[in-house]
Amino acid sequence: MGKIVVGISDMQISNKPDDILITYSLGSCIGLVIWDPAVKAGGLLHYMLPDSKLDPKKAEEKPFMFADKGIPRLFKELYTLGASKSNMVVKVFGGGQIMDSDGIFNIGKRNYMILRQMFLKNKVMINKEDIGGTVNRTVSLEIGTGVTRVKISGKGEFEI
Amino acid sequence: MSRAEEIVALVKHIPSFPKVAMRVMEMMDNPEVRAKELAEVIKYDQAITANILKICNAAYFGLPRQVSSLDEALVVIGHDILKDIIITCSSARFYKGAVGEGYQLGQGDLWKHSVATAIMSRMLALRFADVDTGSAFTTGLLHDIGKRVLSSFVADDFQRIMDRVFEEECTFSEAEQDYLGITHAELGGMILEKWNFSPEMIEAVRQHHDHDVLSKSHLSAVIGLANSLVISIGIGVGADGLANKVQGEALARLGIKEKEMDKMLVDLDTEMDKAEELFHI
Repeated sequence: MGKIVVGISDMQISNKPDDILITYSLGSCIGLVIWDPAVKAGGLLHYMLPDSKLDPKKAEEKPFMFADKGIPRLFKELYTLGASKSNMVVKVFGGGQIMDSDGIFNIGKRNYMILRQMFLKNKVMINKEDIGGTVNRTVSLEIGTGVTRVKISGKGEFEI
Repeated sequence: MSRAEEIVALVKHIPSFPKVAMRVMEMMDNPEVRAKELAEVIKYDQAITANILKICNAAYFGLPRQVSSLDEALVVIGHDILKDIIITCSSARFYKGAVGEGYQLGQGDLWKHSVATAIMSRMLALRFADVDTGSAFTTGLLHDIGKRVLSSFVADDFQRIMDRVFEEECTFSEAEQDYLGITHAELGGMILEKWNFSPEMIEAVRQHHDHDVLSKSHLSAVIGLANSLVISIGIGVGADGLANKVQGEALARLGIKEKEMDKMLVDLDTEMDKAEELFHI
């Protein structure tokens, strides 16, 4: 069994049934989990910012830092493992923020908004999500079963 | 003895900050100081000497041959990187082992968080003429040092603290204050005081979780903002994580726009990669 850690601005895919993809401490970043039950393949993307126009050079070097580059890449990579859009189970996590009544630290919200816009445009439905709030989330995906777990410090681990 | 007094009493058991580091930082306030004079002092700290040589010979500098003497290394790396090496290497010894376990931080997490905050603090400091970038870097590196002492007490009361955070929607620091009688920020200030750092740096560490930190001195604002940004993107973050409160409206007064903050997060990633290569974080 392989535990594959997905770092910040990183993405991993797999179709090995024993693999578990895991990403730690999602704050305002978004963790996007996609799994195809037909081919038992899945991926996990951990992006940090919404828009790559901020730094196109960086986006070439690290496409998974940005929603607009990372999300399409996750879909494309999963297609290479035989996954199809109609089968995909899509789950979204993170997008939290520190307590700030003025909404200055709203990176989380912006990260989530761009994902919703992209999904609307491309007709992708979100099956499950756990978004926002002032909590950090650790998210894992079991490739063989599609079981997705979220861990929140002080609250425990839940299957979502 | 109250719980808080018991905790504060532990501060005196924290080892001194390396004397060589303090002396060298002082000497470097004089821009005319010569490499040979610095080497005379640095050579008494084996860990710093070994690190300077190792870093100097890292691929990053692309030197054609091995540098083996301290004098020569100091010429190659220049003052800014030398300051970073000395302060980083001197601080690293306080973050070894399972420091921060009570906050559910993994091994090395608190150190990684501290380095990221130091780098972000330096980037932010460049925007304020009255903030020294070196002091910002050092303060960022040490802002959470109080967690070293408070961690085991947080561990004892962990579930109560977390329940309070969730039920009352208070910050983790407020819960520390309620249950332990002191916060890691206040303890950190005491540790920096013991180490004879400047009053501004002590104050910035003490205030880094104050809700109105962005309205305080520029150094305090820089550390508070850097910490908030690093927490937001989740670098070396424990159970306390996003349970932090900052009044953001003062950001406009500091002249920092949303897009600029986003760009700084991108630049932080680039700088962290460099730091990982140099300091093996």
